[in-house]
This record gives sequence, C-alpha cells and structure tokens, in this order.
Amino acid sequence: MQGLLRGLVYGGLIITVLMTATAWGMWLERKLAARMQSRIGPNVVGKFGLLQPVADLMKLLQKEEIYPIGADRLLFDLAPFLVTTFAIATAAVVPFSAEAVGADLDVGLLWVLALGGLMVIPVWMAGWASNNKFALIGGMRAVAQSISYGVPLVLTSLVAVVFTGTMSLSGIVKFQIEHGWLALWPPGPGVVAFVLFYMALLAESNRIPFDIPEAESELVAGITTEYTGMKFGLLYVGEYVHTMVGSAIAAVIFLGGWDGPFHIASGLHWMVIKTVALFASVYWVRWSLLRFRSDQLMRLCWLYLVPVSLGLVVFAALWRHFVLR
Amino acid sequence: MAVIDESGQAYDHPLYTTLINVPGLSVAVASIDQLLTWGAKNALYIFPMATSCCGIEFMATAAARVDIDRIGSIVRATPRQADVMVIAGTITVKMAPKVKRLWDQMPEPKWAIAMGSCAISGDFYRDLYPTVPGIDTILPVDVYVPGCPPDPQALMHGMLRLQEKIAAKQAGTWRAPELRPETEKMHGPAVRRIDDPERDPAITAEQSRQAGLQSPDAPEGELDWRGAEPVPVQAALELEALLRERFGIEDFPADSAPIVPRDRHLELANTLKAMGYSLLIYVVASHWPKPEGDTFEVAYALRSPNAGAKLAQWRVVLQPGETIESLASVFAAADWQEREQYDLLGVHFANHPDLRRIMLPENWQGHPLRRDYAADTACRPWR
Repeated sequence: MQGLLRGLVYGGLIITVLMTATAWGMWLERKLAARMQSRIGPNVVGKFGLLQPVADLMKLLQKEEIYPIGADRLLFDLAPFLVTTFAIATAAVVPFSAEAVGADLDVGLLWVLALGGLMVIPVWMAGWASNNKFALIGGMRAVAQSISYGVPLVLTSLVAVVFTGTMSLSGIVKFQIEHGWLALWPPGPGVVAFVLFYMALLAESNRIPFDIPEAESELVAGITTEYTGMKFGLLYVGEYVHTMVGSAIAAVIFLGGWDGPFHIASGLHWMVIKTVALFASVYWVRWSLLRFRSDQLMRLCWLYLVPVSLGLVVFAALWRHFVLR
Repeated sequence: MAVIDESGQAYDHPLYTTLINVPGLSVAVASIDQLLTWGAKNALYIFPMATSCCGIEFMATAAARVDIDRIGSIVRATPRQADVMVIAGTITVKMAPKVKRLWDQMPEPKWAIAMGSCAISGDFYRDLYPTVPGIDTILPVDVYVPGCPPDPQALMHGMLRLQEKIAAKQAGTWRAPELRPETEKMHGPAVRRIDDPERDPAITAEQSRQAGLQSPDAPEGELDWRGAEPVPVQAALELEALLRERFGIEDFPADSAPIVPRDRHLELANTLKAMGYSLLIYVVASHWPKPEGDTFEVAYALRSPNAGAKLAQWRVVLQPGETIESLASVFAAADWQEREQYDLLGVHFANHPDLRRIMLPENWQGHPLRRDYAADTACRPWR
C-alpha cells in the first residue's frame, strides 16, 4: 500500500516536472536556435516569450482532428500516447539525487535500455497507421536507425556496468562518487565511451545530424506528416522528453549524477545543471550541423561506432580485472 | 426557452438551455474561450505556399531582422500542422487544384494570407490565359498583403493584422473592411493613378539623367544594349559548309537560320551530334496562319560545349497537316521542350515517346500561343 502511494506521488511528480521542463526546454531550444541565427526568437508572448509553450498548447488543443482515408485508427490514435508514455516511463528509475528517485531498481539501466528500445514500436505504428508514403518511409528509417544505434548505446552502457559492477543507476553514481566520474576516469576510454553514448543518444532521439526519419526536405515531416493538433503535440513532446531523459541518463552514467565537481555541494541541483547542459548541447549540435545520408548513417554506426564500443567493453573488462580488482 | 444569437440562429437543446442558466458558467466558458483564442493567435504555424518571387521575401521574413518566430510563428512543412497558409506568388490554373487540395488538408481553425499582387488579383498576369485572377477565387482569404513583392515588414504587419482579426472575431467586434469608417479615408487620393494627365510619357535622356535614372557615364542617345556588331563565327561557316555539301541547301538568309527539309532534319541532328554538338539549347516553334492553312516553323539550336561553345541553328517549315520528326531519340533534352511546343502551339512531333501537355492542365482546350487563340477563351471556372 505504501509502495503504491509512493509510486503515485513520484509518478505524478515526475510527469508534472518532466512535462513542464520539456515545454520550457522547447522554448530554450527556440531561443538558442534564434541566437545562433542572429534572430531573437519568441519574445512577444509573455516576458522573453516565456508563455510561448502555453500558447502552443492552447492552439494545439483546439485544432481539428483529421484521420486520413485508409488510416488504421486504433494505431493512429495509440502511437502518440505510447511515444510519450515510454519516454516518461524511462524517467521512473533515474536518480535525480540520492533521495529523489522514483524506483531504485537493481536493473535500472536495463529498464532504461528496454524502454528506449521499445520506442521503436510506437514510432513504427505512427508511420504505418498514417497510410501516407512519407510517414511510412519515415517510420522505416526510424526503425532502421534506432535498431542500429541501439547496439552502440547498449555497448557503451555496458562499459559503465563492467566498471561499476552494478546495473542500478544510483549504484553507478555511488561508484563514481567513490572513484571519479566515468567520463574522466579512467582517462581516455571514459571520454570515448561518453562521446559514443552521446552520439547514439542523438540518433535514438532522431536529432540532427541523425534526423533522417523526419528530413523535411525529403519526407515533409516524417512520421508526424498526417498528425494534427494535440496528437502531433504528443509525438513532438515525446521526442523532447526522450531527449531530456536521455540527457539525464548520460549525466548519471558518465558525469557523476548528483555529485558536484570535487564533491562540492553535491545534490539535486548538479543533476539539473548537467541534464540541462546536455539537453542544450543536443540542440546546439542540431542547429549547427547538417544531416547524414542514410547510407552514411549506417556506415558510421556499423563500421566505426560498434567496433570502437566493443573495444571499450574489452578495455573495461581488463581494467576491472587487473587494476580495480 | 430558446436562446437566439446575433446571426439569428436559435439554440434550444435542453442541455444548452440548462447550462446557460447555471450562474457563473457563461463567465467561465467565456474565459476559456478567451484563453483558447489567445493561444490560437499567438501560435500561428505557417504553411508556405510560395510559388514565385514573394517566396523569397517570405524566407526573409522568417530569417534574422524581421524574425517571424518572435510572435510564435514557425514554418511547418505539412499542411496538417499549419494554421495559416501564406500564398506567396502567382497561382496558375494548373497549380490551383493543388493549392485548394493543400488548403483542404489543413485542420480547422485555419486562415489564409494572400501575399503580393499576384496572389491577390493576378496583377499584370491577370488577363493571361493560365493565371488565376486572385487566390480568393478558390479559397477564403483573411488578410491581403499588397506589394510586388511585399517586403518582410509588410508580411509581418499582415500577420499582426491577422492576430487582431482572430481576437476581434472572438470578441464579436469584427467588421468587414468595407463597413469600417476609416476605409474611405485610407483609399483617398493617396494612390497615384498610372493614367495621370500630369505625367509626361516622353521622358528625355537628359531628364532621366537629372532624375538619377541613368548613370552619368552612359553615352548620349538611346542606350544600345545589343553590344558589338555580330561577326561571322566559325560555327556558322562550319554549318553552312555542311548544309551546302551534304544537304544541297543554297539559301542562307542573313538574318535567320537556314531552312532544312523536313525529311532530312533527323539526319542533320545525328550528323551534328557526331561532330560534337552534343547540347540541345532550345526547341522553339512559331505559328503562321495563312488562308490555305496553318504553317509552323520549328527552330532548333545545338551547342558544341568542347570547341569554344559553337552554336548551330536551323529551322524546319511545316506546311498544313505536316508533322516533324522528334529529336527525343537523339537528345534527351528534346523530350520536354518538344512537349512544351506541342502544349502551347499544337505542333505534332512524330515518334515522340510521351507527347502530352506539360505546362497546362490535361483538360485544357486549344493551344494558347497560336496567333488565332483568343485571350478570352473560356477557362473554367475563372473566365
């Protein structure tokens, strides 16, 4: 009973905080993008345009709902909700501080990777159910990309697991508090693993330079082509939440989670700072680079990322065996 | 008890009449309505229907300096997620059904902005055979942004007026422009008409120089843009020799290309291609109505890109009822160019792989570049 209550409280808290943070994350992205293009970005709706996400939400809520002819209505309706649900559910095991964690699972990392992998299914559902060639191609590209980049994502996470000897996310952070952050220690391979994880994260959340599933110049809007109103909003929010939670997990696994630099003032705020910094850097990359071609994307993954991450796993095992003991 | 609104429509559903009497409910509904309207007017996602030069100004509106993102407008590539369609450019009869279709694909509530003279009225293309005389003949336009093209500030102004319109419609204070008192004030004598008697049609070179219209370095008299005297080039001599020796042609007019017999035209193209003239520059036809029937002239030009860009031109004259051999088997570029001549003039190219209309809709009647084509030929539903 107590567990259920705790789950409800934490669940509500996570959904509220995450959705709010994501809404203003979108605002942050628009402001960053504007700054990078010598523009101003939203500044009319509320002070500094801060009410822009609210206006967007109000607008999306009242738009007409359109089902394309021949669309699979059940899947068409279900896909946006599943995308958002899976993205938020991932956050349940993320330790934001030593206390602020929804469920401190022993296999927290496995939960994260499993739900991240499941994201492929609603995306494919959206692409398939729309009965639209652009959405279908977008969905196929998303599946191909997510499955490919899932491999380096899992392998680089495995590096952290081998080092720390635990799959619990808070266990990984505690190990880092004791021994040093995995991105910095051991010097060299840790950084490489972090960078690979970050790239795989970009690809998993379909961000430039890996955004071929929704390449506007070729596919109109990819899987979201036929979605109107709030269902489009949910698909959109789902992607942002995915990126946000992904950034949080990268911060937990490689950047020491809630641990401050040199253990200075450790706590929730460090986790927030790291997550927002990573989240912003995703959009920094997004507005700076061009997108890969499909074949370049696959080549990068299978010929470079996968072998390097395999090497990293071997290195981690040797380090664990001979140095850490 | 039925409730009757301003437009005279009666609401007598029992649920409605019950709810309307709940104290405070109408205030709450009105507040929610206001909130939704505020959202709708501050997040106008744009679907750009940019068909010509206005599209460039539209891009500038989204870029730095004007930055339409300030008022929360972003550009969406799919009509499903857009609220405003900005029609920027001339709409042709062939384009119109597609524009209408994209408009129908946009979810309600939606608005349209006609950007530039062409989208508003067709402007100086208005009386041309393929032009839609104003986009408001196929979809309801909310804001007209005049200009040719309007500058980014003008489009921004149009967006702000659209926001005002959305808010005014919600508040019930919206009035059509022709009913507003200030309309007459706006359309006073400020507009300078082109046929103004004060305007002198004959502007001399000296006057235009004084007005800064002409560069002070320009020579006196009429400006000669044609450049230097034409000199006989090697290509012309080469083609002339070829036509004299192998085709037995003796007539080489000074001011136009030589005429090649219809049956040897394909052979000439093959010969020239073998000589290095590998690039088809143009296929142009012209129509000469005569009492005994219609005569057509089809002119071809080839270029030899490797040997100093030499040009070879010739004409083929078609008597009434004759067809010309297509060059599509020799030059792939001839395919669409010959289709264009077929579309606009009705010249028939024999052995063409795909002789269909290319510029005009499939159901178009007649060939508009023929001399006897009446400018007011029916083109449903516009004229």
